Amino acid sequence: MFRVGGTVPFMDPTQATREVFWNIEYTWLVYVLMVPTLAVFGWGFWLKIRRWRAGQPAIRFDRPAERLQLFLRNAVGQGRTIRSRYAGVFHTLVYTGFIVLFLATTVVAIHHDTPLHIMKGHFYLIFQSLIVDVFGLFVLVGVALAAIRRWISKPNLLVYTDEASWILVTIFVMALTGFMVEGWRIAVTDDPWAAWSPIGNLFALASDPLMSDAAMQTGHVVIWWFHLVVAFGFIAWVPFSKMSHVFTAPLNIFTANLDGYGGSLKTIDFETAERFGINHLGDFTWKDLLDFDACTECGRCTDVCPANTVGKSLSPRDIILDLQGLMHRQGDQFLLNGNGNGNGSGANGSDELLPIIDQKTAVSPEALFACTTCAACMEACPVHIEQMPKIIDARRYLVMEEADFPEGMMDMMNSLESRQHPFAGTQFSRVDWTEGLDIDVMAEMDDPHEAEVLMWVGCGGALVERNRNTVRATAKLLKKAGVKFAILGREESCTGDPARRVGNEFLFEMLAKGNVETMQRYGVRKVVTSCPHCFNSFRNEYPQFGGSYEVYHHTQFLDQLLESGRFDGHDAAGSSNGSSTITFHDPCYLGRHNGEYEAPRNLLAKVGGARQVEMQRSRNTSFCCGGGGGMAFVDEPPDQRVNQERAQEAVDTGADVVAVGCPFCATMLDDGVNARRGDRDVRVRDVAELLWDAVGESDQAAP
Amino acid sequence: MKLLVCLKQILDPDVPARDFQIDPAAKAARRGGANLVTNIFCENAVETALQFREAAGGDVKITALCYGESSAEDCLRKAMAMTVDEACLVERNGNTNPEAAAVGRVLAAAIRRLEQDGGPFDAVLVGRESGDWGVGQTGGLLAEELGRPALGFVESLQPGNGGVTLRRQTDVGIEVAEAEAPFLVTITNNEDNVPRIPKTRDVMMSYRKPLQKLSLADLELDSEEIRDGSSIFEVEEIFIPTDEVECELAEGDTLEERVDQLAKRIHEVVASIG
Ligand code: SF4
Ligand code: SF4
Repeated sequence: MFRVGGTVPFMDPTQATREVFWNIEYTWLVYVLMVPTLAVFGWGFWLKIRRWRAGQPAIRFDRPAERLQLFLRNAVGQGRTIRSRYAGVFHTLVYTGFIVLFLATTVVAIHHDTPLHIMKGHFYLIFQSLIVDVFGLFVLVGVALAAIRRWISKPNLLVYTDEASWILVTIFVMALTGFMVEGWRIAVTDDPWAAWSPIGNLFALASDPLMSDAAMQTGHVVIWWFHLVVAFGFIAWVPFSKMSHVFTAPLNIFTANLDGYGGSLKTIDFETAERFGINHLGDFTWKDLLDFDACTECGRCTDVCPANTVGKSLSPRDIILDLQGLMHRQGDQFLLNGNGNGNGSGANGSDELLPIIDQKTAVSPEALFACTTCAACMEACPVHIEQMPKIIDARRYLVMEEADFPEGMMDMMNSLESRQHPFAGTQFSRVDWTEGLDIDVMAEMDDPHEAEVLMWVGCGGALVERNRNTVRATAKLLKKAGVKFAILGREESCTGDPARRVGNEFLFEMLAKGNVETMQRYGVRKVVTSCPHCFNSFRNEYPQFGGSYEVYHHTQFLDQLLESGRFDGHDAAGSSNGSSTITFHDPCYLGRHNGEYEAPRNLLAKVGGARQVEMQRSRNTSFCCGGGGGMAFVDEPPDQRVNQERAQEAVDTGADVVAVGCPFCATMLDDGVNARRGDRDVRVRDVAELLWDAVGESDQAAP
Repeated sequence: MKLLVCLKQILDPDVPARDFQIDPAAKAARRGGANLVTNIFCENAVETALQFREAAGGDVKITALCYGESSAEDCLRKAMAMTVDEACLVERNGNTNPEAAAVGRVLAAAIRRLEQDGGPFDAVLVGRESGDWGVGQTGGLLAEELGRPALGFVESLQPGNGGVTLRRQTDVGIEVAEAEAPFLVTITNNEDNVPRIPKTRDVMMSYRKPLQKLSLADLELDSEEIRDGSSIFEVEEIFIPTDEVECELAEGDTLEERVDQLAKRIHEVVASIG
């Protein structure tokens, strides 16, 4: 009844092996079948590669060392996949199982088809038998877990296609039939090393009392061939299904954008561009097209998307998948017309080139204009797909070619054009907030070079009532620390961030060039700003227009000042913030876009011993306030307000101060918190305001 | 068909209160930190003309005309970006007279000149009033100069049977009229003639399109005379009204006393204002 093989003392484990192709005749047929399999496989990928190559150029094979590192971390190491616990577990099981089983097959091939008979001894027992069995089990368990999610718990983030279900079934069948043939071979041959293949052995033990040797031998042949046909079919199917991610995802990760989300938008050469923005697949870069094919349909991007969370139609996953579908449908048409010259108009049947923006798909204008450009989707994507820049590409088309956009954005752009700030109807000038502070304005200084630092106030700081206290606090802190700084005053213009995110690249470029010119005039080198959007533009976007500066967000600069003892003598611990609980809301353009999570927290830690609590979604998974991407200027439907969703989360922490580091977050969360705080006194305050309360002197305001 | 739209460049009426300055000696607003923009009703007029062209579907040509400083070129470029066909600037050269009568004469002379070169304009569109002085007479006076019939407060022009169908706002509702060319209308705003944001390509093209410039001398007008000769009113004084708030608390130990005191003071104050 018991088969105990490998432990029998007289057997020499160094001689352990098994017969390859035991019980199988016509093994040449395997090689015959392999030819069409690999041909279809190769053809499938060749089609894909040909399609990608029809895209516009993009430089994505530079900096190989950094790319390799990213590849090792997030492709080989599955760094992002495992961030989600359940999916991380089952994907790791299947992924590692596949690798091991693939290696095992390779070992068989080497053993059988080359003079290297490596499949023997301890290697055979430990790897080819034990490890392979365990990892085969991993595959079975992993697929079962995935199936439970797909068929039983059914979370929203998944796309429920037949294809996805068939993939699970096929993989399960492949692993199961693998164990079946192994088990029957063990049973029939009385394999002395059976104990090294525990799962196969289990199968053998289970079959033995039920089946005769002859039945098992017949079953073995049938299932063996069945297993082979299924496996080959699967291989041929890979390039045509989402399983192609096995190859496209690692490639996509290797060619990912290395410059951070803050620098992920393309520039446009207005002199030569034939179209502004993108409404045809052929105007995307090859990397964009690769993105479409790399999507694993995991849905994490849509799951974290703030617009989607509050019920808007925007779904980054569906944008990617709809574009993928369009690309596949368009086939050769797309190749012919979008052949990389960006010229979609002409005699060669271009009318049939389908537009990507389509009311009936996920790429509808309504969805496109709901994006806050928060980049949560990009951060969540396990395969580094760049959803947000594509949304901006399409917005550019709508804004610049069609002049089609929501009303609030129109007023904002009108104001930017004629007044160089987005706040139509503001009651303030750019210098009103300085009243009583005696702040140098570059144009009025004898020698503007004396100012070591340009304090960039930002429209949101100077022109919105609620934020004037923030810029006042920042200026007072700089003064107190003895920093020689000045402002541009009336010469400051919007950095152009709102224009750029909305898709008006032309307006952005005009504003950027103007600012670079002004700053050049005063020899500006170092910039401090309390607006993360300005910060991002200076840091990642102005260099393209000749403006390279040492740029600090005010929390970074103040943190440095505090560290170096420039606020000494005023013990923060004695301040009025002592009893409060603070939660910090990471601004998207400081955190995710530019990777700064610590400076504001460091400052808060020193603000009068206030207790810090974190929201569930914080740091790189922070949830947008709803104000980015020009959305601060759009009236959201009352039941679809991103700011309220976030405010609720902040209120739920029990904190009585919601600390912010961005003028847009401040106004959005102010509104949100007021709507959601109930009877509790919860206040939204900029980190600079809190710091000034702690270390400032005379005009301290009670929190 | 040919339409002509008159434009005026003004100081941004949305300038923050504290940035608004006046020059008491010149009896005019100072530029200060304010921007220059196209008067909103003039932009509504441009939009109305563009919509007429779209509705007519064919051969409609729109010309924009401005009497202003050289900075007013921006207004004309913007109109061209909105896809007006042609633009002409009559340069004012520091002649600051804001008066409608003078402006009407200059515009009329310019229109006659343009008509000499390119044929008559069927309709002239003028903003109902400007956001700076708000006098609201330029349209009427220009019609007088041109000897055209005029209709005010029009919000839309549509191609009608043989002529043009106009909708105008009145105190009692919307009036619909049929007009035969030539005529002049002043344009007011409604939700349908909000000026469009130009397409970027059109913005770029607007800088490449020619822009005709004329001086008062070209129009055989004497700038001295334009300045002095057509005054129908004179600016006596110009100042920014100040809000003065005086706060006084009603005193008393009990609520009743304080209410009494308050009532008494209200009486006194009302009496003193008389
Ligand atoms: S950037 Fe943010 S709002 Fe836009 S699609 Fe991605 S997650 Fe959604
Ligand atoms: S784009 Fe990325 S995160 Fe979104 S569904 Fe595809 S693979 Fe998942």
